[in-house]
Amino acid sequence: MDDTLAQTQRLKAAIHFTTGQICQTIAADCGREFSRQAIAAIAETTFRQCDTFAKDLEAFARHAKRNTINVDDVKLVSRRSTALSTYIQQKSEELASAHQEQKEKRRKNTVKRKHQDTEGDPEQNED
Amino acid sequence: MAEQVEFEFKKETIGKLLAKSFKDNKTKVSGDAVILMCEILKVFVEEASRRAVKQATTEDGEQVDVEHFEKILPQLLLDF
Repeated sequence: MDDTLAQTQRLKAAIHFTTGQICQTIAADCGREFSRQAIAAIAETTFRQCDTFAKDLEAFARHAKRNTINVDDVKLVSRRSTALSTYIQQKSEELASAHQEQKEKRRKNTVKRKHQDTEGDPEQNED
Repeated sequence: MAEQVEFEFKKETIGKLLAKSFKDNKTKVSGDAVILMCEILKVFVEEASRRAVKQATTEDGEQVDVEHFEKILPQLLLDF
């Protein structure tokens, strides 16, 4: 029990840290300053929002009879704002194409390696 | 200004945070889903702070304070 509490505190601190960084960047951009309490409030809201998102994601995955949450569930979570869902759609396509490239590269490498193996074999046989 | 770094949430943090909120232990998250969730949360924080800055500007506040954030909070939560 104590352990989970400590972990929650650590996660909250991590969220707070990143929120602070993002806020500071925007504050510098707009020539304003955030009070510490404002940053803490935004961090706390983000933390709770993440909790809501997690419950939604779980429900979506369960509805699709899956145990693993995938990209489609995240797209559903972002459905309420058109701009956000377009952005997420685009990001997911980028990720998918990156994966495709990686896969192809790996396949090429294995083919090359096999090729070398078969080329290497006769020499070994000669020995 | 080209060297400005984009801050974002770490995959590990968000992964653990999501896992903590699940009611069922069997539920897992795919790697890409975590990356996209980090992106959504980053947009959420950016949107929150930009709206708070705007609110502070209309009220002529020196500093962005909790009261500015409180005013934009209901609409922010409706939009996400």
